Amino acid sequence: MTIRIGMLSFAHMHAYSYAACLKQIPGVELVGIADDDPARGQEMARRFGTRFLASAEALLDEKLDGVILCAENARHRSLTELAAPHTPHILCEKPIATTLADAQAMIETSAAHGARLQIAFPVRFSPPVQRLKAVLDEGALGRIYSVKATNHGRMPGGWFVDKALSGGGAVIDHTVHVIDLLRWFWNTEVTEVYAEIGYSLLHPDLGIDDAGMLSFNLATGAYGTLDTSWSRPTSYPTWGDVKLEVLGEKGAAKVDAFNQHLAVYSDQTGRGEWVNWGSNIDLGLIRNFVDTIATGREPFITGYDGLKALEVALAAYRSAETGLPVSLPLGST
Amino acid sequence: MKRVGIVGAGVIGTWHAARWRQLPVELAGFYDVVAGATAKAVEEFGGRAYESLDTMLAAVDVVDVCTPTSCHQAPVLAAAAAGKDVVCEKPLARHLSDAEEMIAACQSANVRLFVAQVVRFFREFSQAKAILDSGRLGHPGLIRTVRGGSPPFIPPSGGDEGGERSWFADFEQSGGVIMDLSIHDIDFARWCFGDVERVFARGLTDADAQLHSHALIVLRFRNGAIGHVEGSWADPPGRFRTLFEIAGDQGLIEFDGLAPAPLTVTLKANARRMNNEQAISVPGAESPLHPTDDPYYRELEHFLNCLENGDEFLVSPQDGLEAVRISLAAIESIRTGLPIYLDGFEEEAA
Repeated sequence: MTIRIGMLSFAHMHAYSYAACLKQIPGVELVGIADDDPARGQEMARRFGTRFLASAEALLDEKLDGVILCAENARHRSLTELAAPHTPHILCEKPIATTLADAQAMIETSAAHGARLQIAFPVRFSPPVQRLKAVLDEGALGRIYSVKATNHGRMPGGWFVDKALSGGGAVIDHTVHVIDLLRWFWNTEVTEVYAEIGYSLLHPDLGIDDAGMLSFNLATGAYGTLDTSWSRPTSYPTWGDVKLEVLGEKGAAKVDAFNQHLAVYSDQTGRGEWVNWGSNIDLGLIRNFVDTIATGREPFITGYDGLKALEVALAAYRSAETGLPVSLPLGST
Repeated sequence: MKRVGIVGAGVIGTWHAARWRQLPVELAGFYDVVAGATAKAVEEFGGRAYESLDTMLAAVDVVDVCTPTSCHQAPVLAAAAAGKDVVCEKPLARHLSDAEEMIAACQSANVRLFVAQVVRFFREFSQAKAILDSGRLGHPGLIRTVRGGSPPFIPPSGGDEGGERSWFADFEQSGGVIMDLSIHDIDFARWCFGDVERVFARGLTDADAQLHSHALIVLRFRNGAIGHVEGSWADPPGRFRTLFEIAGDQGLIEFDGLAPAPLTVTLKANARRMNNEQAISVPGAESPLHPTDDPYYRELEHFLNCLENGDEFLVSPQDGLEAVRISLAAIESIRTGLPIYLDGFEEEAA
């Protein structure tokens, strides 16, 4: 049985990687690509050996088993509402949306049409992170005191710095991956967030937040911090990092999810870069999405997971506005 | 489904067994001259314990030879005679003439012979090779490698009372650190830079330092490139070292296996138990991969794919033979104090 998957928009760069993953999984057909930027969509269709469809509706008419949404954050809701009546499995790029109301609407629309909404949190598929989860599950560290995390990146530019499309800068972009990991590790929620946020701090005149330092409590009793900053310059040898240090009563654990790399220097490019040789985490995510379709089991990462991660980012913005810690869950926004 | 039989139920045999279990083959079982070794492997991985090599050969399609180095030849020849395809653990053989005979026997019996030079299937190494081949480094110039750890001769539990030493400690069986460890990097360097013209090496021999083996090997390739290979079974206790760098006239690749691991777990209870020296080598330093990215899985999967499609192996029997020849030449260089030219190099009759 062939599993038929379509892709809606290549606005988010992860779409390139997801398409490449789809092409390597036996039994999967990349049925077509729709994109409101036709030049980009046509080029991607050529690159990945599939069809370009002139509209999202035309793609969704293809009786897809699943669709992957990599549009700008603010468009996730409208595309989910378009897809849910036609397509039983939706994988949406993170963050789920730019507001809690949109996220809630996406969850409700999907449920009403019997479509399963999943959110792309590929770091859950990092083998070093999965091993850390296993160590934590064994209880090896005892009571957990704290977790110190970073999800640094380069400033991505483009629509990522246009608040109307992205919902925010570094904080909304890089809060959700790590918060999702913590919720998954301990089956817990963030109960309070305090945040210092920098606007145009590292990139003059950027007009959006490019630095975020979150301090939070978890319902487990642990506290922690998360640095979401776009603090890696273009000359940095890699895009960024996901690092966590967990301190417990019986010991400590450190994970650096992308620290399997070769350092490569070439005078042809004029700089050094780190080339990752670790397992492809996007392939893990896409295999999991395909497996969910094939088996009909419950999704590993749900729309609700996406909403709860987004809520922490929104709380961080609110904290920076008020100068005070913000309790979660947030009231209606 | 191919039926696979493993000869030699030691460390590598059980590593291979674990991967065969994940692949679409039937693990038929194990044969080992050491009584009791097979029972343990069968208990863990299934299949049956064969009482003789012949009974195993009659029941399988593929023979995976995981015996000590000096014991590769006999089962490979037997497998060829029985018409079975063969995986042979590296080094192909302890002596050149043995390796040549094994290759000839497999050729004339028309069976496939795959030499398990697994380093070519480590992602950090295969990715470096791909970057080199992409031309980003320009013209190849230098390669340096390190592979080393503390001596594997004595089981961690025991002292060095007689009988507890492993076959690695016996130079006649293992060929020492050069034939057992450095041969990985010699093969990798030759894969990257092509054939070797000459080799010069210095190192410890058994007479110099009992229970330690170490070598610094200098290679000159036919294309003019230069190599340096360090192998060590003389390190103090700590994390096993794997490093390499490849330099061209326009670029450089560096890999340091001792860089902080992707995952480290330090437990207070362990630290208290350990003395200072051991506390440095945190047992919880890990570099995990998805199971299908594991190098032993990848090499055996590659072997099966090539059998099915009729493709050439990434490691040809000749590659296995050349790795043995260069390793033996390095040993000869230590013995004579002279550079050894590979062209026409033949081992002196033992």
